[in-house]
Amino acid sequence: MREKLLRGTISKYFIKGLLIVLLFSGKLYAQQTVTGKVVDNNDIGIPGVNVTIQGTSIGEITDFDGNFSINASSDNVLVISYVGYTTEKITVGNQTNIVVKLKEDVESLDDVVVIGYGTRRKSDLTGAVSQVTTKSFESQPVTRVEEAIQGRAAGVTVARNNGAPGAGVKIRVRGANSITGNNSPLVVIDGIFGGDLRTINPNDIASIDVLKDASALAIYGSRGSNGVIIVTTKKGSGKTKVNIEHFTTIAEVSRRVDVLSSSEFATLRNRNRIAAGAAPTFTDDEIAGLRENPIDYQDELFKTGVSSTTQASISGGDEKFKYFISGNYVDQEGIVITTGYERSSLRSNLSANVNDRLSVGLNMFASREFFANNVDSFNRFKGGLVLRALTWDPTSPVRDENGDFILRSNLANNGFNPIAGILRTTRETVNDRFNANIDIKYELFDGFTYNLVAGINTWNSVTQSFRVEGDTTDDASTHTNLDFNNGKFSAFQISNILNWKKSFGNHNLDVTAVYEFQGNEGTSNGYSTFNVAGPGFFFGDVGDIANENFFNNGGKRTIQSYLGRVQYDFNNSLYLTGSLRVDQSSVFPQDNRTAYFPSAAIAYSFNNMDFIENGNTFSNLKIRGGYGEVGNQNAREDAQFGQSARGLLFSFDGETTVNGQADTQLGNPNLKWETTRQYNVGLDMGFVNNRINLSVDYYQKNTVDLLLSRQIPTTTVSITENIGEVENKGIDISLSADIVQTKNFNWNSNFVLSKINNEVISLTSPDQERIIGNILSIDGTTNALNVIEVGSPLGEFYGLTYLGTWKSTDDLPTGIQPGDARYLRDEDGERVLGAIGNGTPTLTWGFNNTFDYKNWNLNIFVQAAHDFEVYNQVEGALNGGSGDFRDNLSPNSFNVWTPENETEIPRAGANNLLNSSRYVEDGSYIRLSNVTLGYNFGSFFKGLDSAQVYVSGQNLFLITDYSGYDPEVTSNPLNPNQSNGDVGSGINLGAFPNPRTYNLGVKLGF
Amino acid sequence: MKMIQFKNKLKQLFTFVVSLMMFSTLLQSCAELDPDLTEFNAPPGSYESLADQEEGIVGVYQGLFTAARFNDIYAPAWGGDDMTTNFGANKADFREFDQRNVTPGNARLGNNWNNSLNIINRANTVISRSQGLFQLDVDMEIVELRIGEAFFLRGLMLQHLSRIHGRIPILLDPVVDPDVTLSSQQEVFEQVESDFLEAERLLPDVYPGVNPGAPRPNKGTARALLARLYMDWAGFPLNDMSKYAAAAQSAKQVIDNSGAHGFLLLSDLEDLWRQENASNTEGVFSITFCSSCPNLDNRKYGILGLPADLLGWQESLAEIKFFEDFPVGPRKEATYRTELQWEAFSDQKNPVFKKITGPAGDIAQFSSSRFDFWMRYAEVLLIYAEASGRSGNVTPQSWEALNMIRRRAEGLPFATPNPSVDLTSGDIAELAVTERKWEFAGEFSRWYDLVRLQRVEQALSDRQPQVSTDPATGAIINERNSILGSLGTDNYYAPLPQIALDELPNLAN
Repeated sequence: MREKLLRGTISKYFIKGLLIVLLFSGKLYAQQTVTGKVVDNNDIGIPGVNVTIQGTSIGEITDFDGNFSINASSDNVLVISYVGYTTEKITVGNQTNIVVKLKEDVESLDDVVVIGYGTRRKSDLTGAVSQVTTKSFESQPVTRVEEAIQGRAAGVTVARNNGAPGAGVKIRVRGANSITGNNSPLVVIDGIFGGDLRTINPNDIASIDVLKDASALAIYGSRGSNGVIIVTTKKGSGKTKVNIEHFTTIAEVSRRVDVLSSSEFATLRNRNRIAAGAAPTFTDDEIAGLRENPIDYQDELFKTGVSSTTQASISGGDEKFKYFISGNYVDQEGIVITTGYERSSLRSNLSANVNDRLSVGLNMFASREFFANNVDSFNRFKGGLVLRALTWDPTSPVRDENGDFILRSNLANNGFNPIAGILRTTRETVNDRFNANIDIKYELFDGFTYNLVAGINTWNSVTQSFRVEGDTTDDASTHTNLDFNNGKFSAFQISNILNWKKSFGNHNLDVTAVYEFQGNEGTSNGYSTFNVAGPGFFFGDVGDIANENFFNNGGKRTIQSYLGRVQYDFNNSLYLTGSLRVDQSSVFPQDNRTAYFPSAAIAYSFNNMDFIENGNTFSNLKIRGGYGEVGNQNAREDAQFGQSARGLLFSFDGETTVNGQADTQLGNPNLKWETTRQYNVGLDMGFVNNRINLSVDYYQKNTVDLLLSRQIPTTTVSITENIGEVENKGIDISLSADIVQTKNFNWNSNFVLSKINNEVISLTSPDQERIIGNILSIDGTTNALNVIEVGSPLGEFYGLTYLGTWKSTDDLPTGIQPGDARYLRDEDGERVLGAIGNGTPTLTWGFNNTFDYKNWNLNIFVQAAHDFEVYNQVEGALNGGSGDFRDNLSPNSFNVWTPENETEIPRAGANNLLNSSRYVEDGSYIRLSNVTLGYNFGSFFKGLDSAQVYVSGQNLFLITDYSGYDPEVTSNPLNPNQSNGDVGSGINLGAFPNPRTYNLGVKLGF
Repeated sequence: MKMIQFKNKLKQLFTFVVSLMMFSTLLQSCAELDPDLTEFNAPPGSYESLADQEEGIVGVYQGLFTAARFNDIYAPAWGGDDMTTNFGANKADFREFDQRNVTPGNARLGNNWNNSLNIINRANTVISRSQGLFQLDVDMEIVELRIGEAFFLRGLMLQHLSRIHGRIPILLDPVVDPDVTLSSQQEVFEQVESDFLEAERLLPDVYPGVNPGAPRPNKGTARALLARLYMDWAGFPLNDMSKYAAAAQSAKQVIDNSGAHGFLLLSDLEDLWRQENASNTEGVFSITFCSSCPNLDNRKYGILGLPADLLGWQESLAEIKFFEDFPVGPRKEATYRTELQWEAFSDQKNPVFKKITGPAGDIAQFSSSRFDFWMRYAEVLLIYAEASGRSGNVTPQSWEALNMIRRRAEGLPFATPNPSVDLTSGDIAELAVTERKWEFAGEFSRWYDLVRLQRVEQALSDRQPQVSTDPATGAIINERNSILGSLGTDNYYAPLPQIALDELPNLAN
């Protein structure tokens, strides 16, 4: 495609050149020696550049400093070309010394969209694809790829629902389809399936393309139902370039949760005791002491994290050989004490053109990740660490006067001191990853190529955990938990891609056929024990043998696929695409193993029409429409078979154990693919010579035969079935504009907006109205906190509707005192349990602005999510009166209901139910996500191309009504086996907040 | 020129075809679409060995352990006048029972429902899968023994659920019928009877190789629970008085064969609540726990019965009026921690059950290896005394059954007649009911007596303490959790839990 473009420009110039020749053909021109210099953007000479006289074979190559000298006549046109730069043409005229500034050829890269098993010019697209290029995030320090996507790709929601360094980030393309399956999009890196965005060095990325509609996704068939993120890594070109970047990051907790201070808590405690006719707990002196030296568990838990990122790359190449080699090291400290994350990675992308027809590429990537004290690994049965710290007794310090930990308190949280827990714990996870893929292209004859992409991907993970949360002097507290967990995962993929491109006049045809298979295999094994008396992990074998537990699991799946795609366009105005993919998966029984995923799309460009070619309003106008079907095979590998648990222990004699067996899964011999059918219509518009571009897409997708894993009623046996339907409808808008384009000042602005409505259309049998979720309350009641209801969006909060307090003048129902919490009741007087909120935003947007003024560069990125709630269980726990949360630590405790002042906050000592709308808060937020100010010093010594220094801040400002740390962070479900994050999103059980970060960095280019 | 081009093309095509063939052979061998079944831990369609069957039945017991590890299984018994709970904190589920205000959303009620039906489902699976063993050359006595065990455990859980909810669904097949409806009370009783009878038929006099206390049931265990069933059948709601004779006859049968079953009263009541005596001859059926085994400890005793002043969880507390009325003597000492001055507790002033906390120092925290006495031999004796009275067939053996319990309560040898405590006249049935009240206080059984005898209102209207005073103020201490719901028969049974109605909507019809 790119070649075609180039050829087009060449012919245009050729015609112009010819005209000139014809006009001046009567004259004779003398030969003269023309000298010159070819420089890049930074006025550095480029060696090895071809300088030829157009239409002849005469040519020279620039020397090391970019200088050239050539004999030419004044009517000659010099063609200056170099790989990676836009070719320049200069008519000699009477110039004898020419300085040519070559522009890097970024436009051509931008213009191409990767669509899966091929590329397409953006202008020729028929489907809905969002593209994020390096350009849009290179001016901000990015440590992970997800940050680069958030708010920059319409239709893609990215939620950093955990601020822990290295934590997983939730990405959804056009909403969530599946209730129990995985809703994460497929990540394809350089043609290989199943990458992990977290491990990629953002600096290695050339472009990210997100396929959103089914006509684009159908080519990925069974893997495409959640969208596909295609990552293309950089290739070297041109002269050797070395880039080095280093930045240091300071991270801190961005907000504080408002809780009672030590002295306030003590005062209130005394007041309540006296009101109840009991002796006060604290003396005046003690309270004065606490006022002077308050104990703040937020201070104990959080710290300022200092991190650094260093990355370097070297790249370059010529027609024959291109290379890109990079390394990156990230060392992050978490804002929660003892937590941290390190990542080092190395990439080598090499490609060689063996001859005119054959090219071979080899991309290799290796990374090591290290996680220290993942907060989610602590006991979360009664809330996460953050929640437990917030609700811990603020009158009791972490250590006593002897320096020993104070593990328990009679007040507030009834659990063990969370700070003592995290300080005594060492949990380390190391993930090693190695990916290699080879890409062989052979052009059989003109326009017909065979491409083999083969990749392997291995991933090993080892966790060593020594977790001490209880009292080491009391075995009943199961104090010292020791875990070893070893996981091995490997995947392979082989794709044979045949492609044929042919033009017949104005008719262009592009046909692709693929045979592909892929498989993966994973095993995990390990052991755990508890109440170990030793001081560290390597004392695991000194524990009680009776406590030892071993496990060994494995899984394997294979997919075989055939697919074909035909793309046709006529005269650059009518575009048609049709594709069919056939997948066979080992997950399904033989009869249901094969699935067909068809798609068709049409686009029409009005660019050839008179009103655009000669009009003033539009510079581009195109409409698109498509339909396709994609699948999801995210069921357990063994879902078609029954499963049972062996080794269920029981003891008949109180001393020895015997093994029992019970079924855990009922096999489903009728299991089949989950299918998503999607319609998409889109409109692309360009204005003012494409300085302003607008894309609008509307879609509706219905996912049927949902793979739903559920517990069979009255048993502990689960079954995976194809049940129910979920619908997503939405609009994606993307607007970009070069608002100012002058010599010294440029302002580029990008706005994306996604609106989505999600609805559960049906569940099991027609009469099933809801499925109670299995995210359970942490208040000791084990009430469910989420529900899936027909007619509502996926994953609603489940609970009571809070109506304030019962007043003394009310007609009180039995069992209720004035001042008690009042909940909505039905006509029978029963409290109504129902859906009371939803944690998935329906509207998200991002607004990215880049300003360039001379050597200054400024990036401002604002990102927002609206129309969602947070089920703030942390606030509920702070209010006390429930489970382990014995006392009210919330500042509202000064304003509780009393007979004299009947407020809407329940009386002191009233029972507090956490599963109520009292703790549902509006989560909408607008975040100043990034501000970066950079200055480029240019070249101040020989060999240096550029030197840039920048300062930046992330998460600097948050506009929200939410009372917790951050509405974007919510907790992972305690039991991830049966709930995916989407049916429980927005439930905050004490999640790790997103930090605010400040960076200082320097980038050098040689 | 053309010829050469053509030749080149041919060569290219040839190379291509060869390489494609090479790859496709490579591929076909790799794309393994049929999973290796040996990698899966598939459950058996039917048992192929006695070891399979034993694993299956242990799986049922494991369900029983899950059900009984925490107080979910006993929570309805907080309705009795003997027990109460903390007035605040997370004890709302228990308070609902205590205050007669049980809601469908009660999590303990829901857990108990799920756990009990899970045991029934696993028992059904064992019964069904055992059929294959009859075709094999294995010891049929063992096969039948375990089938008997499965029938027993199924009957046990049907009975348990029915005592809480009254009418319940009867699920007898491993495949759960999603359209199941509630059976009538008569049908439920008949099913429980039939399960226990089948268990009695298949079980031996004593289960081979187990410790005392019947951790695995025997004929006597099944018959004793039949006696309990007939007592319920004769009372509310069916009031089929004819069943008292069956109860008396069943209890007598167990008493007469107690030697063969290994059932015998312990001489000192207090010994029952020590961890070291977890296994003892008084257990007619015991649910077993093991604190030295991985995650098999009992988490219902110890600090669950202690006040906050002693770092307790205040879940299972004793009611004041009941304590006041409790006759002074060795039995009271064995039932309560009388050495504690509970009137001076700061958070909540209630007596402490020794039966829950264990004797001082016996259980350090919440975890213990105590067994649960699902039924004690003492109950068999008192059923016999009461049922023989109600069926008009009182014999000297009936009085002896009552007197054995009375003697031990006074700290006397239970087998030696003692005129100072022995009774030989009066309304033996009512005397037995009173004896049960004190004997089983705090053992999660009083509530069910109040239900079957239709005496809920009578008992729960009499909870106001009369003599216990706060040492600080001198004022009478009030019971904290007042009655909120109806004490009439309309409120005897707990509602079906919400989760049951959500999952099996036909239960509402």
